[in-house]
Amino acid sequence: MTRPRLDHRLLLRLTSALFAGLGLVFLSGCKLAEVFNLSGNQSTMVTAGPVAKAQWDLFMVTVYVSTFIFIVVGTVLAYAQIKFRAKSEADEHAEPPPQGHGNPFVEIGLIAGSVALLVIIAIPTLRDIWYTHDVPESEKGNAIEVTATGYQWWFKFEYPSEMVKLPSGGEAPLVTSNELVVPAGIAIRVQLRTIDVIHSFWVPKLAGKVDMMPNRGNFVWFKADKPGYFYGQCAEYCGESHAIMRFRVIALSPRDYSLWLENQKQPARTVTAQSLAAATSPATVQFASMKVNPSDALAGSPSFEADPLAAWHAMQQPEAGENAQLIATGRKLFSDKTCISCHNIRGHEGVGITGPDLTRVGARTTIAAGVLENTRERMHAWIKEPNHFKPGNKMWFGGYNVQDGDGWKPNFQVTDQEIDALVAYLHSLK
Amino acid sequence: MAEAIAKSGFTGKDAAHPAKSFALFNRPTAKTGLVSWLTTVDHKKIGMLYGGFAILFFLIGGLEALLIRTQLIVPNNHFIGAQLYNELFTMHGTTMIFLAVMPLNAAFFNLLIPIQVGARDVAFPRLNSFSLWVWVVGAILLNVGWISHFVPSWKFGGAPDIGWFGYAPLTSKQFTPDLSTDFWVLGIQVLGVSSIVASLNFIVTIINMRAPGLTMMRLPVFTWMALVTSFLLVLALPAIAIALVEVMMDRNFGTNFFEVSGGGQPILWQHLFWVFGHPEVYILILPPMGYVSEILPTFARKPLFGYPIVVFSGVAIGFIGFGVWSHHMFTTGMGTVATAAFSLATMAIAVPTGVKVFNWIGTLWGGRIVTRVPMMFALGFIWMFMMGGLSGVMHSAAPADAQQQDSYFVIAHFHYVLIGGATFALLAAIHFWFPKFFGRMVPEFWGKVSFWLIFVGFNATFFPMHFLGLNGMPRRTWTYDSNMGWNEGNLFATCGAYLLGIGIFTYFAVLVYSLFKGQKCGNDPWDARTLEWSIPSPPPEHNFAAIPTVHARDAWWYEKTHQEEIAREKAEHIKAEESHGGIHMPDQSWYPLCAAFGLLVGAYNFAQLHHPLVIAGNQVLGSHLLPAIGGLGILLASCYLWALEGPGGYHLHIAADGKVTESRGDHH
Amino acid sequence: MSSHAATGHLDHHHDHTTSTGIPNKKLLWWAFLASDCMFFGALISSHLVYRLNPPPGNAVPTQVFNIELTSFSTFILLMSSLLMALAVNAIQKGNVKSTRTMLLGTMFFGCIFLGGQVFEFTHFVQDKHMTLSNSIFGSTFYTLTGTHGTHVAIGVLLLGMMYVRTFKPAAGGGLLMNILHLLAVAAAAGVAFIILVPGLLEVLEGASFGAMLHHDAKPLLIGVAALTAMAWFARSASPVVEFGEKNAIDVEAIGLYWHFVDIVWIIIFTAVYLLEYL
Repeated sequence: MTRPRLDHRLLLRLTSALFAGLGLVFLSGCKLAEVFNLSGNQSTMVTAGPVAKAQWDLFMVTVYVSTFIFIVVGTVLAYAQIKFRAKSEADEHAEPPPQGHGNPFVEIGLIAGSVALLVIIAIPTLRDIWYTHDVPESEKGNAIEVTATGYQWWFKFEYPSEMVKLPSGGEAPLVTSNELVVPAGIAIRVQLRTIDVIHSFWVPKLAGKVDMMPNRGNFVWFKADKPGYFYGQCAEYCGESHAIMRFRVIALSPRDYSLWLENQKQPARTVTAQSLAAATSPATVQFASMKVNPSDALAGSPSFEADPLAAWHAMQQPEAGENAQLIATGRKLFSDKTCISCHNIRGHEGVGITGPDLTRVGARTTIAAGVLENTRERMHAWIKEPNHFKPGNKMWFGGYNVQDGDGWKPNFQVTDQEIDALVAYLHSLK
Repeated sequence: MAEAIAKSGFTGKDAAHPAKSFALFNRPTAKTGLVSWLTTVDHKKIGMLYGGFAILFFLIGGLEALLIRTQLIVPNNHFIGAQLYNELFTMHGTTMIFLAVMPLNAAFFNLLIPIQVGARDVAFPRLNSFSLWVWVVGAILLNVGWISHFVPSWKFGGAPDIGWFGYAPLTSKQFTPDLSTDFWVLGIQVLGVSSIVASLNFIVTIINMRAPGLTMMRLPVFTWMALVTSFLLVLALPAIAIALVEVMMDRNFGTNFFEVSGGGQPILWQHLFWVFGHPEVYILILPPMGYVSEILPTFARKPLFGYPIVVFSGVAIGFIGFGVWSHHMFTTGMGTVATAAFSLATMAIAVPTGVKVFNWIGTLWGGRIVTRVPMMFALGFIWMFMMGGLSGVMHSAAPADAQQQDSYFVIAHFHYVLIGGATFALLAAIHFWFPKFFGRMVPEFWGKVSFWLIFVGFNATFFPMHFLGLNGMPRRTWTYDSNMGWNEGNLFATCGAYLLGIGIFTYFAVLVYSLFKGQKCGNDPWDARTLEWSIPSPPPEHNFAAIPTVHARDAWWYEKTHQEEIAREKAEHIKAEESHGGIHMPDQSWYPLCAAFGLLVGAYNFAQLHHPLVIAGNQVLGSHLLPAIGGLGILLASCYLWALEGPGGYHLHIAADGKVTESRGDHH
Repeated sequence: MSSHAATGHLDHHHDHTTSTGIPNKKLLWWAFLASDCMFFGALISSHLVYRLNPPPGNAVPTQVFNIELTSFSTFILLMSSLLMALAVNAIQKGNVKSTRTMLLGTMFFGCIFLGGQVFEFTHFVQDKHMTLSNSIFGSTFYTLTGTHGTHVAIGVLLLGMMYVRTFKPAAGGGLLMNILHLLAVAAAAGVAFIILVPGLLEVLEGASFGAMLHHDAKPLLIGVAALTAMAWFARSASPVVEFGEKNAIDVEAIGLYWHFVDIVWIIIFTAVYLLEYL
């Protein structure tokens, strides 16, 4: 038996396939996203900041190297499979081929080759480990520090450098929930904390995830290239409603950001008949219409999807047709139904800290930790049946219902009229 | 020669006295029927029991996966709720790892190792039976929570819902107060005991019970990989065992290991878990690499390319495998230096893994490839494992991993390694060795149909998940929104999963059919190369009429090419062995089963230690302490009686015409 | 094997029936001890991790420890290793009587060590107010030393089983006697390390001997009864026993375990106790 002769025709065809394949990958490169229609709201391919970009570029290096290896090894494997196949029944039972045991030079060559290819990945990996770890020295000076705290199942955001006056006197950092507002073009360093189990802070378009570990001071940094509206989500399994522990990052131009900050630092907006009469601003209309079944269409309405940042801006304005009477009723109900013991509304009655801060809940685009678009109808549905949207949440277990031995018993009930008033009140908090 | 004779017996004490005078039970002697299976010490029967249970759980785990995929078929689906979904993905992972792939590997360890090393059983046959039944106890403890869904009065709080990784502090009493977590902790602990005991047995068997002439560098590659795997198990499982003890102490006795308020550091759990968890990855994949290294040479009809390199790379993977655990923790804020070190170590481990792939291709090169079903699965393994391996290399780049960690990209990666890799190799192995242990062939046509269904279904399920992950879909989420661009990928994946399910069903249906109706076969239907093919199919209980003398790697291939020399040698061995009293076989025993039963009673009650014992609605005891101690007592008493009973044994005599007769009593 | 026994020349260092010459049981124990190293490795690492990251309000080890007592019990445990080695030596020479004495001696020293630990734990909880749950040091300390103590207790139990086994008559039978004998040994050892040794240590610390006798009268009486039973079993045992030189490997296997547990204690004593005094 002589050594098998190479089939040149087949080899040629496979080699051209290799180059065609490689070419395709290189050409598509960053366009992979478009080729596969993968530019979703949390796409890691369509990046919007330097950290995510570095991570994606590094990923593409690994893709190039891996694809190269796959095509080369795959070609050889495919060739061997075809070339050395037993051609017929008789061939299967023929004398076995030469019983060769291996070739050390081939082995050493292949090991050296794989090490060389890995070095190509290793160098940018090391560079990016240091780059993505912390804000570069040159930007440290004007970086903004924010603290994000994970709760089962929502996020609290604090601005340690932006102090607000408390109604009781004293000062405290500005607090908001589930929607982190930052200026574009400035490095943001987020301190990551958790109040209970491990969560993970992930805004794919801005930066890879870093976990919020109990008893550990983790942090992550990112920078948004330009103003935008970004989706984020908890990325570490944290219990029953982990899937719907979402949040948003809204990057504003520095001017918008300072306006936003200024508004945030005021006490909660109080609507009275007089203040309504005095106001001249043409309030914008609600931008979303209710879909048929709120639970089956949790995502935003088409107008919202089209330009979420514009929708966010619109949300900052008081709504048309505010009813001072209704809002006052809602504010009273907010106390009567014990909502105030968990939710803080700075300047009004709410003082609790176990639930999200609602001082400006009316100005957010989403409620229930990024799950529902913040429309009147959805807030109504959410207040009516929180457990339907977020199984196991503390508003239902602990608020609406209290522990009774092994089971739970209802604590209070709310009627549809009462919810309307509550919604009117909460939506007035701009 | 003298060595060969000495090897034929067991190294324990001789059966000088009738065994029953010093035991509670009469020693069982049944060769068929239920008792023979419950009390068996025969490595082949134990292997089949492992295999049967493992396939059962493989199908259960698969069903759980199909439910998961059905929930994700459309956005905002309400097929199953959050709680049940969390239980399903926890149990899918736990089941597939601990109750399907590991015991399937254990099944092949049992079936093949003693025969491949030319022995008549493992070193400690009763200990082997103990491992099996302890494994069954662990499987029961893990799954007992499902009862709560059907009988609500059993308040176990459903199946475990903390993820197969059980990250503290989610396992703390504060966040998962129900019993499901306690059962998970004890179930994994008990499975660990089973694995350690079994591994110790295999280590001794492989190192100490090799036939004459079978040097370490002549061992079949599968046996080598089994040895490395056993060492990994013995050295890796203690880490998780201690971590589980710490969780158990936290939950039951108020310690603060992972209690944040008491100064606990939940990150410690992750380190201990992954010090076990990463070697575990190789525990799952090294035996499959062994199957493939046996199947490829058989069907390429030439020896494995670069045997020493394949063996050394297996050992290297085992070693480096202990130094890369933190690549599961790149997002936990380890700091730059640690991240860089683990990143580079992870790249390093790709080298020995790649070397194996190169050698498999080298084995095919210049061979004559006979494309039977096992070969198709083995070739599928190389392709799929290569893809899974390469996406693994992508993860080693830590900053890129920050985007992929806990996303569907990771799911795609490890399913390519664990289905495309481990499972494909296991399906190849089942098909390959089925004729050996059941004496019947599996029909080629239906085998090929199931291969293509599985191959296409698998890729259709998991290839889109790469893109789902890159598109930002996090894992362990029971629902997703319709505006994220994940709808098509999930729909496609779910359809693929159904196809995969049909493929797996076809595969096992054909096996069941073949079990009864398959075409009968001789001892060597594939023209294979290792010792198990030298003995009849199915093998007799004593495996070898004469302990073989090994003259080369691929011992059976050598025997086939040197038939006269071997025949002469064998005849001499049989005669010599008979003159020493015949073939010594170990006796069956009840005590391993009794000990495992004691462990079941003890662990089941210990899991609910602080809960009152309620029987038929009446509170009988304030806690489960007494029954737990009772279980421990049964365990200890069984172990003691087991020790007193001794290995026992009887002798087999093979007449010139091949007829086997049995004798008891002292022949020495 | 029996043929070797008959001629009286057992090679205790090479087993011809195995590929490596190491007896299977010995190899099994060695592999198990490798595994056990990892168990203690994980536990000691947990302890050291929390030692390096103590939360506020953690217990201060040097205020809790009684280093003199622990040094003494460490010494006792080391000496028990000597007796264990002598037991192995005796059985390798086929001297069953001497083996029994040495096994009992090893158990006796093991019980003193365990009694010291019971005394120590009791004092730490009652006088120093360090419990499993009120400090992370308590959690890691009790879990680590408790696991080690469990190992020693299992060792004592194994030695007891081996001791009772030396009486197994060559003629067979006697299961009930055997079990009663083991129960007597277990009861005597249990009373010794749970009641007697801690009680005597209290007396050394200044408690009244009479009060201790009075307070623990019932268990002490059980202990005395168990000891009497042991003496009776030892005297009335059949002179022809099955146990002999061929069982050297069994004794050696337990010896391996016992020495290992001692070595682990030296590491624990250094890492947990001595380290705090540096």
